Amino acid sequence: MKMLFVEDEPILLEEMESYFSSHDCICEQAITFGQAEQKLKNYMYDVVVLDITLPDGSGIDLIEGIRKNHMETGILILSAKDSLQDKLTGLNLGADDYLTKPFYLEELNARVNAIYRRKTLKGAEQITFDDFTVHPSSKSFFFKDSEISLTRKEYDMLIYFVINKNRVVSKASIVEHLWGDHFDQSDNFDTVYVHMKNLRKKLCNISGKDYIKTVYGMGYKFTH
Amino acid sequence: MRLLSKISYYHFWLSAVVLGITGCMLFLFLRKEISKEIEEQLELQTDMVAEEIHMGRTVAFPLVQITKGDESLMKLPKIFKDTLIYDRLQKVTEGYYYFVESKKINGQPYRIKVMTTYIGWDNYSKTIIYIFLSIAVLLVVLGTLVNYFISRRVWKPFLINLKRMKGYSVSSKEELQLTLTDVTEFKEMNNVLTDLAARGKREYTALKEFTENASHEIQTPLSILKTRLESISQQPLTEQIAHLLNDAKQATIRLSKVNKGLLLLAKLENNAYTDVQWVSLEDVLKRNFDLMEDLFQHKGLRAELQIQSKKVFASAFLMEILISNLLSNALSYAPKDAQIVVNLNEEALEITNEGKPLSFPESKLFSRFGKDSQGYKGNGLGLSIVKQICTLNKWNVKYNYEKHTHRFSIHF
Repeated sequence: MKMLFVEDEPILLEEMESYFSSHDCICEQAITFGQAEQKLKNYMYDVVVLDITLPDGSGIDLIEGIRKNHMETGILILSAKDSLQDKLTGLNLGADDYLTKPFYLEELNARVNAIYRRKTLKGAEQITFDDFTVHPSSKSFFFKDSEISLTRKEYDMLIYFVINKNRVVSKASIVEHLWGDHFDQSDNFDTVYVHMKNLRKKLCNISGKDYIKTVYGMGYKFTH
Repeated sequence: MRLLSKISYYHFWLSAVVLGITGCMLFLFLRKEISKEIEEQLELQTDMVAEEIHMGRTVAFPLVQITKGDESLMKLPKIFKDTLIYDRLQKVTEGYYYFVESKKINGQPYRIKVMTTYIGWDNYSKTIIYIFLSIAVLLVVLGTLVNYFISRRVWKPFLINLKRMKGYSVSSKEELQLTLTDVTEFKEMNNVLTDLAARGKREYTALKEFTENASHEIQTPLSILKTRLESISQQPLTEQIAHLLNDAKQATIRLSKVNKGLLLLAKLENNAYTDVQWVSLEDVLKRNFDLMEDLFQHKGLRAELQIQSKKVFASAFLMEILISNLLSNALSYAPKDAQIVVNLNEEALEITNEGKPLSFPESKLFSRFGKDSQGYKGNGLGLSIVKQICTLNKWNVKYNYEKHTHRFSIHF
């Protein structure tokens, strides 16, 4: 996947780039509106992560240009403004998703992947690990040829883990992914644990392999 | 009381008092003048009667009494008074004036009494009252008419501007446009209002920019904190450092939630959510409930939904927040295995959950950060956001506690 990060904060750029690079993405960055405009003119990207507030312009104004040149490019707006108006304007102009700062890299990764699957792969992609296959378009999950039934939360959690494999995913980030950010976090850690335990048991019973590890005090890590 | 009614009211009483006083004065002056004339006339008549007697002619008029007497008669005074006499034709007693004087004619003392009627004095007073009443009625009717036309012409720009002011909001994009007028006071007021509106708008924009900038300025460092802390989490850590790191993470999350909540409240107060549409509360409730079902289950909460279809004209975004805040409040504060009842009908939304009584005064329930921290888990803003959303939609939100049950109700 080829990505462009448009963001004026160097530390965030560094974090995003190092994380997405470790997931086999080709990453490029632009720290100003002008730079982003130049890169978007010359190259094609699968997904553009766009900060709205840039020193020399608004990321919103880049959307139309991207849409005109490359219909297939996915656009995710990353904004510090939790402004409904910006969100609506962005989505109306053709952005695919909107994420508010501060955010979890895992969440950004999950959303970028969803956009990528939907736009570039037209929903035809399967996510596989060992003998397991996830079909995101039909929200189904297979081991070899037999379908495994998962609850909706287990399914959401599985995708979140698989997309963010080999990384310690914090419980707080899972809570936000599963239930949104309106809820009081610590209350729901127990429920996260229950879902994780059930999912882990299901995977373990079928394959005999334990995919999910608990990292003390931090969260969970999915490896295969 | 409307200004015009007030003016008419004072106008009416002023006319009544002025007319009353002038009417009485007219009546009294006239009566004085007339009785003076009658006295003069009667004195003249007495003199003429005396002259007749002096000439040796017999005087026999119906309303003249002549009494002969001795010297003592001469000591009696002149009297001019009114009296009542029965009119046998009209069968009523009528008011008369009489004049008595003692005179010595040809050496013989006489007492002469002459009488005359008021000559329609009653009619005079009636006429005066009628005239003054019609003046009063005319003054009130014409005064009202004049006021009405004044209101149509002079007050019109004022009323139009008042209406525009009512509809004006500093958050709207349009400038305040006021109708011109030629009345100095109104002109002055228009200037003040336009100035005030412009200043309000400037300050509103500044505030809005400030909240957005503050948000940006806080959210970006928070993002850095959050991602950096997650990066540290990827390293192999000792239990002790993991514990410290976790505390830092929790604090970051809390800070980011408080910041978001405060921003939301600021925007609600500025009425920034103008994306109103018909929203089915039933759908919002079901969707949120669906999302939280496992959380309820895990806590062993028995949830009962009594939901009828209900649509409200409001911001969809705010309705999501309203419902999820109320449900998450019930989820957080209901003890294990408690019952939660959600009731939605045409008039009201009611969410009840069993639980212990509040540990702080009820009046602080909806205020920001108003609760004592003990046993309190939220960011302290959830219910004030609920309250603010309800206020914005002119709904009434109430809380009460009875029979171990907390009850939140919103009346549409």
